[in-house]
Amino acid sequence: MTDLVAILPETIVTAAAVVVLAVAAIWGDARVRAWLPWLTLLGLIAALASPIAYPASGLFFGGFAVVDQFTAFFRLTFIVLAAFTAVIAPPYLRREGVPEAEFYATVLFSTVGAMTIALATDLITLFVGIELMSIPVYVLAGLQRRDRYANEAALKYFLLGAFSSAILVYGFAWLFGIAGSTDLVHVSAAVAKAGLGSPEVVVALALVTAGLGFKAAVVPFHQWTPDAYDGAPTPSTAFMSVAPKAAAFAAILRVMATALGPVQLDWALVFAVLAVVTMTGGNVVALVQTNVKRMLAYSSIAHTGYILAGVAALAAGTSAGAAVLFYLFAYGIMNLGAFASLTLLDLEGTRGATLDELNGLWSRHSSGALAFTIFLVNLTGIPPTIGFLGKFLMIQPVLDAGFGWVAVAIALNAALAAFYYLRVVVHMFMYDPEAGAPRIEGARILSVSLVVVAVITILLGVLPDPVYAFALRGAEPVVIR
Amino acid sequence: MILERQILDHALTLLIVIPLVGLVPLLFFMRDERAAKQVAIVTTFVELVVSLVVLGQFRIGEAGFQMTDSVMWLPSLGIRYEVGVDGISVLLVVLTTLLTFISVLYSSGGAIKTRVGEFMAAFLLLEVGMVGVFVALDLFLFYVFFELMLVPMYLIIGIWGGTRRIYATLKFVLFTLAGSLIMLVAIVAVYLASGDAGSRTLSFADLVNDTSRFPPDFQFWAFFAFALAFAIKLPMVPFHTWLPDAHVEAPTAGSIILAGILLKAGGYGLIRFALPLFPLGAQAWLPLILLLSVVAIIYGAAVSTVQKDLKKLVAYSSVAHMGFVTLGIFVLNVQGGVGAILQMLNHGVVTGALFLFVGIQYERTHRRLIADLGGLANKWPLYTTFFGIFVLASLGLPGLNGFVGEFLVLVGAFKFDGQPVSGLVWGPLAAIGVILAAVYLLWMFQRVMYGPVREAYKDLPDLSPVEVASALPLLVLTIALGVFPQPFIRIIEPSLERMLAFASAAAVAVK
Repeated sequence: MTDLVAILPETIVTAAAVVVLAVAAIWGDARVRAWLPWLTLLGLIAALASPIAYPASGLFFGGFAVVDQFTAFFRLTFIVLAAFTAVIAPPYLRREGVPEAEFYATVLFSTVGAMTIALATDLITLFVGIELMSIPVYVLAGLQRRDRYANEAALKYFLLGAFSSAILVYGFAWLFGIAGSTDLVHVSAAVAKAGLGSPEVVVALALVTAGLGFKAAVVPFHQWTPDAYDGAPTPSTAFMSVAPKAAAFAAILRVMATALGPVQLDWALVFAVLAVVTMTGGNVVALVQTNVKRMLAYSSIAHTGYILAGVAALAAGTSAGAAVLFYLFAYGIMNLGAFASLTLLDLEGTRGATLDELNGLWSRHSSGALAFTIFLVNLTGIPPTIGFLGKFLMIQPVLDAGFGWVAVAIALNAALAAFYYLRVVVHMFMYDPEAGAPRIEGARILSVSLVVVAVITILLGVLPDPVYAFALRGAEPVVIR
Repeated sequence: MILERQILDHALTLLIVIPLVGLVPLLFFMRDERAAKQVAIVTTFVELVVSLVVLGQFRIGEAGFQMTDSVMWLPSLGIRYEVGVDGISVLLVVLTTLLTFISVLYSSGGAIKTRVGEFMAAFLLLEVGMVGVFVALDLFLFYVFFELMLVPMYLIIGIWGGTRRIYATLKFVLFTLAGSLIMLVAIVAVYLASGDAGSRTLSFADLVNDTSRFPPDFQFWAFFAFALAFAIKLPMVPFHTWLPDAHVEAPTAGSIILAGILLKAGGYGLIRFALPLFPLGAQAWLPLILLLSVVAIIYGAAVSTVQKDLKKLVAYSSVAHMGFVTLGIFVLNVQGGVGAILQMLNHGVVTGALFLFVGIQYERTHRRLIADLGGLANKWPLYTTFFGIFVLASLGLPGLNGFVGEFLVLVGAFKFDGQPVSGLVWGPLAAIGVILAAVYLLWMFQRVMYGPVREAYKDLPDLSPVEVASALPLLVLTIALGVFPQPFIRIIEPSLERMLAFASAAAVAVK
């Protein structure tokens, strides 16, 4: 019974997904469908509140799952991201005729998978979580069935995702071979015994890094990202660009800090190099994009690089893990917000907005342009925003761990990225709208929620302490001892 | 009485809050031009009054920080919200509120015709950043305000600027941002070096008390990172290339603030943070900075001479004037330092005024090229008088404010006895710049104001009452600072000596 109480939030989210599907199947008319996002939101809020009513912590299911502050932080993050997605999605889904109930249910199922990753103390739980998170996201990418690009996106994402899962599970098999157990703690002990630089550990390390690197879009495993993000329906992209990435990092933290923690010296430098390559690669390619959706896709690769720097610096202690957690939270909100802002534009038949289509957005939809600008300022890392704090907190452990050059790379990359983020602001504010472009009306809930969330990113930028203190507690279980 | 005391105790926080409060009604009256102008004028006026109260409450002769306000801000990081003023910053705060008020007043007179509400909102946000930079006593807080100035100015140049505004504003932002992000890394490094986990701090007062915790190597790079950010902002040669572009394209009010305040944030940062926190680093970079200062003075003046565009001429003259500021700071003596700060104030007043008058002239003639102008003196006696006085002040005529700062800096430069070359080299070289200033400014004045008047300009009106009201406070300050510099020097001197003492004490301790 205590086992079931421990996974109450996951259970509630699953139930919510089933209820959403059932309600839509039974009463299929538009009036009911309008309530689906709110039903989704209700389920998510109940899931978030349930641990307060029924607290649980410790190991469950015979050591297959753990509930600790790390789990709690990621539960919060995933639920917030899913809720934000549910609120911003309706206008786009209705306009483009994307099946609504399926969208919400799929987002919820994927969220359950992501939450399962945060629970994992065992390679098997971890892998189940990763698959449960990934497969719904492939569906999300292809939900717009009649769109060629969405099909391409879904197929590419699915094939490369399956491929990376295979690599990952092969790596897990090597770890099992070393330890004779799938329990992360046992694996850790066996890895420690095998010692630094032992061939079997290095093979497992390489396979696991590649497998998880695919999921997080680390260069050079990032090739699927731009096409998948670009072709998918924009609300799907918004969710895809944040939740699976956060989930991938939850997995990376658990595996690297616990199972492979003893050989941290083997991988820290590799991760630092990957971090710099990823942030630079993402930013340089983003610079030349004229399609905003594609540009944001490359920018999300750059952000993977910043976050990876924190993983490389895990030896610095709690502050490193906390920086990764905080950044994931901040990135999740700001990047989701940026993609969601794009859904304001009605661009049937095109794949996301080009820069020119954003011309004069300020005079066509002021609150949307304002919110989008705030999200871009967040992504640039200009204070007082949560995005700036993410960078500030990230540089700290990176320097502390002795990776001064990575810290400088973060700073230079942030300056580079400013160019393309601010260019979007240029088009929204400093160019006049194309002749005949009407004011954008409607989508009231979407624009209100965008503004509210944008304001929250500033408030949390001024008063980040609640989130950061939570992140510090959440990082405790992933400190390398 | 108690309430009054409370308000006075938190006057600096009030200065940060007032423009934010003004933003709230502005957001509601965004589309109502009249209301937006009124809200902005009232807000900046109240801000000016409060800053004058701060100046009135300032205890002259005390070196330390006054009217400090300090609360724990981010407990899990040990970062505090800490504000205060000393003799170095208090005058810059008043300059900020004064120039902002003047800019808003002038812009309300019809200079800004589109998106007035947004313009005023950007200005209020800008004012928060500018005031914050000069009162922040925690490096984290300082950085937040330093960057906060960026976005509004980016919008001001980019939306209300001239034809090449987008190129100019992106260049301005990217230059500044690249420098300040490198400084951010250094700030984090300072944080880590400030103590063991749990006792770390970014509070200036704590850090400056014991700079021996920063080893020489560390100081070398930390000073480099800080100085780079400030050198770009100031700007020092060779980081000055964004300045002419930004100035030429910015709307008049933007130019006034850019030249008057934003550049000062760079000079202020050098003297407040870079020098006292990393004295050994400063020593190491000293020869290069002195060299670049003198290069800026001569190069800036020489390039000004050949400018065809009025705004560009004033922009390049700013490069030369800022050369005096860095020279004065880094000769590391009291005369030089006081001169540098006076030079910042004077440049803020005079260059602010010069941009104002170039703007006023441009609004009537729609020409900025010197060759297209001429003979305006006959038509505009009032304009000519004002403009003439500011030009004379800018070239350093004794009796007007420009003279005092440059003279003190030169005295300081001559007194410099450090390595590798003594002040007898720096002093005369810098003095060349003063002569060149007379050349380019008087020549410009002659070409613009005298000669035959063009047919097209015959019926253009002289200064309007709003324009006179905008310029008058600057004129009063120009004369007051020139004739009675002593009260200002008495405010600055003790605090400056304190900053220099931090710098020299650490240098002596190592020797």
